[in-house]
Amino acid sequence: MAGMIVKRMGAYLPLLRLRRRAAADALHWSGLGGGHKGYRSVAGWDEDAVSFAVEAARLAKAPDADPPALVFASTSAPFLERSHAGIVVDALALPRTTRSVDVANSRRCAVSMLAIALSGSSGEDILIAAGERRPTAPGGALQLAWGDAGAAILVGEGPGGARLLGAASLTHDFADVYASREHPTPYASEDRFIRDVAVGDIMVPAIASALRAAGVAAADIAAAVVHEPVSGCYRAIAAQLGLGAPNNLDRVVEAAGDLGAAHVLYGLALALDEANPGDRLLVVGFGGGCDALVLEVTGATPGSDSAARALAQGQAFDEYVRFLSLSGSLDLDWGARSEVELKTSASTLHRHGRDVTGFIGGRDTGGNVQFPKSPVPVAPGATGGLIDTRLADTPATVVSFTSDRLAYCPDPPFKFGLVQFDNGARLPMEFCDAPSGGIQVGEALVMRFRVKALDRKRGFRTYFWKAAPHQRPMLEI
Amino acid sequence: MASGIRDRVVIVGMGCTAFGERWNASSEDLMVEAFDEALTDAGLERASIDAAWLGSALDDVNVGNSALPLAFALRLPPIPVTRVENMCATGTEALRAAVYAVAAGACDVAVALGVEKLKDTGYGGLPLRTKGVANDLWMPYGSAPGTFAQLAGAYAARHGIIAEDLKRAMAHVSWKSHQNGALNPKAHLRKAVSMETILDAPMIADPLGLFDCCGVSDGAACAIVTTPDIARGLGKRDLVTLKSVQLCASNGWESGYGQWDGAYVRTTREAAKRAYQEAGIGDPSAELGLAEVHDCFSVTELVTMEDLQLSDEGRAPFDILDGRFDRSGSLPCQADGGLKCFGHPVGASGLRMAYEVYNQLLGRAGPRQQAQVDLGLTHNLGGTPYNSVAAVAVLGRLD
Repeated sequence: MAGMIVKRMGAYLPLLRLRRRAAADALHWSGLGGGHKGYRSVAGWDEDAVSFAVEAARLAKAPDADPPALVFASTSAPFLERSHAGIVVDALALPRTTRSVDVANSRRCAVSMLAIALSGSSGEDILIAAGERRPTAPGGALQLAWGDAGAAILVGEGPGGARLLGAASLTHDFADVYASREHPTPYASEDRFIRDVAVGDIMVPAIASALRAAGVAAADIAAAVVHEPVSGCYRAIAAQLGLGAPNNLDRVVEAAGDLGAAHVLYGLALALDEANPGDRLLVVGFGGGCDALVLEVTGATPGSDSAARALAQGQAFDEYVRFLSLSGSLDLDWGARSEVELKTSASTLHRHGRDVTGFIGGRDTGGNVQFPKSPVPVAPGATGGLIDTRLADTPATVVSFTSDRLAYCPDPPFKFGLVQFDNGARLPMEFCDAPSGGIQVGEALVMRFRVKALDRKRGFRTYFWKAAPHQRPMLEI
Repeated sequence: MASGIRDRVVIVGMGCTAFGERWNASSEDLMVEAFDEALTDAGLERASIDAAWLGSALDDVNVGNSALPLAFALRLPPIPVTRVENMCATGTEALRAAVYAVAAGACDVAVALGVEKLKDTGYGGLPLRTKGVANDLWMPYGSAPGTFAQLAGAYAARHGIIAEDLKRAMAHVSWKSHQNGALNPKAHLRKAVSMETILDAPMIADPLGLFDCCGVSDGAACAIVTTPDIARGLGKRDLVTLKSVQLCASNGWESGYGQWDGAYVRTTREAAKRAYQEAGIGDPSAELGLAEVHDCFSVTELVTMEDLQLSDEGRAPFDILDGRFDRSGSLPCQADGGLKCFGHPVGASGLRMAYEVYNQLLGRAGPRQQAQVDLGLTHNLGGTPYNSVAAVAVLGRLD
């Protein structure tokens, strides 16, 4: 079928989920905190908007083809001047000829790019990867309402999951909630004001226009993915327009939170995973206006099953102080051992960044793979050059492991060990998402893209890969 | 193989400070203290020293870079002075350099001095250091106990030993060293502790508890080496000689090539093999009378017993629990308390080990003196089990 379609999707949540009830209990004395139902997805100390976008993009990227264009979308990207899309390109080991761009500053940005991509006629694949880890203030309702996550979508020509029937956009400078350099945590207006204006002035007109453009009646929408600025918006919109479909994002909000720029893509993955060919989907991004898209399901969307799976898996926790520390809301005194300074050398990063960020080792002429590459191969007797070999998706197992309580770690204990890859490569690695009981020798591992080091003094961070247990636990409900 | 240094160099004098929290002593004070004891022991004049080697592993902590701290502290005459650094094997590395210089005939009298002033870091444990700006981009920053703790799980998996049994054997290692350290007036930790205390201690890095780990200390140790002829000329009758000094450094095979199972230290095995050959030792467990090994952590000592061929493969936990390496056992290990209780001022530790063997060979070990010691071994290990430098030396009497 000609035209641009949704080809693949990916959705990723961090392992940790804060029980909102636990946070509400901790804040009960103050009357602050907001809702207490469900979970808030919580980034580990070494996860950020970039790492989330990479994990989602790994799921959305076709295994046998590199997209010629990549978009990184986030309102919480860590750098003001450094291309995050460039980091994602390296993490996915895409060619340096990849066109890349960051979009930001509105939680609608990923959906805006999706609308542009689906309306385009280039025929080239474009991978849109969204990640979000938004700073919030303790006590504010949004701290518990928001969640951390990544979601990604691959758009291009060929067989796939959904095509665009019609779309409409509306731009409206609306300060329902904002964050700024001077006020990095969100400042929200009154819910009732937001709901009335968002529904009446922005969302209903845009959605009605998109339905008209698509030639689809509201009653024929099988599933909705509508980013609500505050709860109750969709109910009001549905009543006004005659939409009967549930809003798929309700599940996401309850189990993880509002995921910002990744929110709608996450919900779309849920919807596509459950849809049947011929279904019509309403997809609405909100923030400084609205983008409304009407899609028709044309087939299966590989990777979309990751959304439901990630919602069902995770590790619940109740320690509100741990959450405050992880989310950057509480600056604990970690003692003298945390004072270490490891300045990243820009020229070293220039030389080794592609291999480190992309987890690219080398295969010698005898077939042995090693990381990092070296002028003389590590295999005894091997000579000659090494051929680039990516390790990020290679199965691996534990050779040795420990939980280290002496080494500084923002979420102790520090877990690390020796990892053996099935292709022969081996290296000492940090572990992430490890259960409190530890990891056993021989256990299967997967690789996760994470922050390697934070240089708080200079505001810099580097990324590398960490080993995680192959299976995540099911979330205790 | 080359003829080696067996019996070609003797230790003519040794000194060692008390190890511990030496709040009132600078690194210069420690160097002078160890050196003065060694010089007095040797009966030499300072002017007779031809060359010196300074071992200091953590240059950023107090001692400083280069060989100048030693030359300044001792106000050495204008002679060649060199600083060596090879992680925790630094002390033996300094000794090796001095011994080689004398064996080569490059000098008559050489000094090896190791020093570290770790308690000025302001916290327990070793300071975190860069592993090189490129390695910092990917290598994990675990602590020393974290890296060595991994030996335990891998050893248990290799030999099918259950974790509780291994933990008990590890606890016995520490229990024994505390027993010995209590008899050593220069030891950092001089209190015997019970098995229950060791087993119930807070976890540092699974499965290493607090008492499975040596602390870090301030201290210095010094050896003065010369030729047998010069020593005899000084009127020395009982001469302690180096039967061998060997060293092995990882080349990345363990950490980067998929054949090592994580349950032993390859560099120790290789260094020991060569050291035994150089010393003419065929059956180390029968011929050695004493061993001072790098017991940075209890599990390190446990696997080292096999790496040094002092226990059969998979038998170290049982030999340990049987008391074979206790002071009353057939092969006393860490008679001075070891790193665990004598302490671990990194650059000094290898020389501290030699100091104990030297004193045991000369019958000067006081309440720790073993009845019969003809050959004693030192084993000094730096780095991690997967990226290590191991040094093995055998000391004995000159026949």
